[in-house]
Amino acid sequence: MKTYGSEPGAPEPVQVGISEFVVRGRDAEDTLKSYGLGSCLAVALWDPDSGIGGLAHVMLPDGDAADGADEKPGKYADTAIRAMLRRMVENGAAYTSVEAKIAGGSDMFEFESFGDGVGDRNTAAAKDELGKLGVPIIAEDTGGQRGRTVEFDTSTGTLTVRTADGDHGVVEL
Amino acid sequence: MKLDIKALGTFYEMAREGAGLAAGRLTRMTGVETRVGVTKLNFMRGSEIQKEFGDGTDKVGVRVELSGGIDGHSVIVFDRESALRVVSTLLDEAGDDFDDMSRSAVTEVGQIMNAGFIDGWADVLETGIDVETPEFVEGRTAMDFIGDLEEAPDADDFALLFQSKIEAVDTEIEFRHYLFPERESMAAVLDRHRDPNSIGIEYDKLAGFDEMAKQGAKEVASNITTLTGIETEVEVRKLNFASLEAIPEEIDDEMLVGVAHELDGNPSGYLLFLFDEGSAREVVEATVPSPPDDEFGDLGVSAIKELGNIMASGFIDGWANVLGTTIDHSPPEYIHDYGAAVIDPVVIQLGEDQEFAFVFDTVMRANDREFDCSIYAIPNQDDLERALNELDVEKVADAETKADVSIDELENA
Repeated sequence: MKTYGSEPGAPEPVQVGISEFVVRGRDAEDTLKSYGLGSCLAVALWDPDSGIGGLAHVMLPDGDAADGADEKPGKYADTAIRAMLRRMVENGAAYTSVEAKIAGGSDMFEFESFGDGVGDRNTAAAKDELGKLGVPIIAEDTGGQRGRTVEFDTSTGTLTVRTADGDHGVVEL
Repeated sequence: MKLDIKALGTFYEMAREGAGLAAGRLTRMTGVETRVGVTKLNFMRGSEIQKEFGDGTDKVGVRVELSGGIDGHSVIVFDRESALRVVSTLLDEAGDDFDDMSRSAVTEVGQIMNAGFIDGWADVLETGIDVETPEFVEGRTAMDFIGDLEEAPDADDFALLFQSKIEAVDTEIEFRHYLFPERESMAAVLDRHRDPNSIGIEYDKLAGFDEMAKQGAKEVASNITTLTGIETEVEVRKLNFASLEAIPEEIDDEMLVGVAHELDGNPSGYLLFLFDEGSAREVVEATVPSPPDDEFGDLGVSAIKELGNIMASGFIDGWANVLGTTIDHSPPEYIHDYGAAVIDPVVIQLGEDQEFAFVFDTVMRANDREFDCSIYAIPNQDDLERALNELDVEKVADAETKADVSIDELENA
């Protein structure tokens, strides 16, 4: 979701809506947040040396096979990861030191039409793309049957994952 | 005039572009930080628009007449308090009434925003749109704002509305934006942006859409009463056309309880019934003889699943009656989770084959207790197009005049 006229230093987290990605530097005072991920997947990339990081809220696995991925790269796992990494490098991140954390990709429904599970497909696509690009996944909280809300702090690289399930609570990746 | 997904997609793009430009200009003018919320196309009957306006609050608005790339009226409507807040960002001394100064301040803001929307539409349509002088309007009902517009729909006619929500961050400023295009002008734009290979849906078949939503809701209400004794009525009934990713964004970021069903038949798709936690507790208390301490334990879950199942049967019967088709629904899948998370799996699955969706959006409410149930029915686009094209609209019209008699009953009479 685009925000117009953000005031500097505003403590409100920046919302990263479905099919969007946002890149921030180490000095950013606001965090990046995606609410209520079900089968959608959050991909957080971070370069610990420059402190440049980004959060993508992807909806579908395969942009290379879809029309319109050029206009909305953030919608698909593969194109979102590539576009976000490119933006980070343009902003001064070192490609070789970028690390990934992923969260989401639940499968809450067992409908016939869902096949192997829509959440699993997103997680697999993100892992595949990160593998191709040589970006290591250093932490993940994926799958299961619960929704998640994630908040990414680019000043520390911490990805905080909250689940609606009381037993699971809050996890810091 | 035919509706076609590609052409409606163009309209949707117009609405989204316009909202973005309007939000940016509002921020530049007032310094208020803004965010574009959900953008939708609504197909609404005049009677539903009247209901939406008639919520008993005072409103002010700014409307302009358009010609050229599209003919019609663009109307910004603020609730009165929001308008006063906007005025206070521009004038040092703003009172509680609309004097000449504050009227002209609101008119200016409304005009800047209208111009933002219109520039966005012109960009998408790659054409010029001319704008007449803005008018300030004050009132409480739809009559006050659009009563004298030729293109505003009569109670039984449909209007295609662009609806955008622009939220002010940290400030309570709410407003709605409507575009009422003239029918011929809209037909010309739809025609120009059509996919030549698509069959499309005849505009007049919108009556079928509306009847589906109406019959579905009616059956659900009656089944809720049978099972729980709770009397409900339909609070909102809308047919939206939106990009798939806009659907979860619209759902409140609170915990929801509900059931989801997969539909198989003509059309296939998904059907969800969602309650806030308070309403879900009411359901459990109304249906379980000795309500458990934990409403969302096994007993509560099975009570909600049972109600979901019976609501789904009612809803689907309503649709099948209108369309004359057979539709089956899967057993209910229970959900208790964050708002957006409960619907994104469905959106993702549909997203494999389509970019946009028609969403039947219905809210049922009880008068005597907390009971809000949101129904989202999202059919597969190709199936829906086919089912509607096979629909005999005259039969639907006949059924409507014989109130409360379903088409099935008429046919079997």
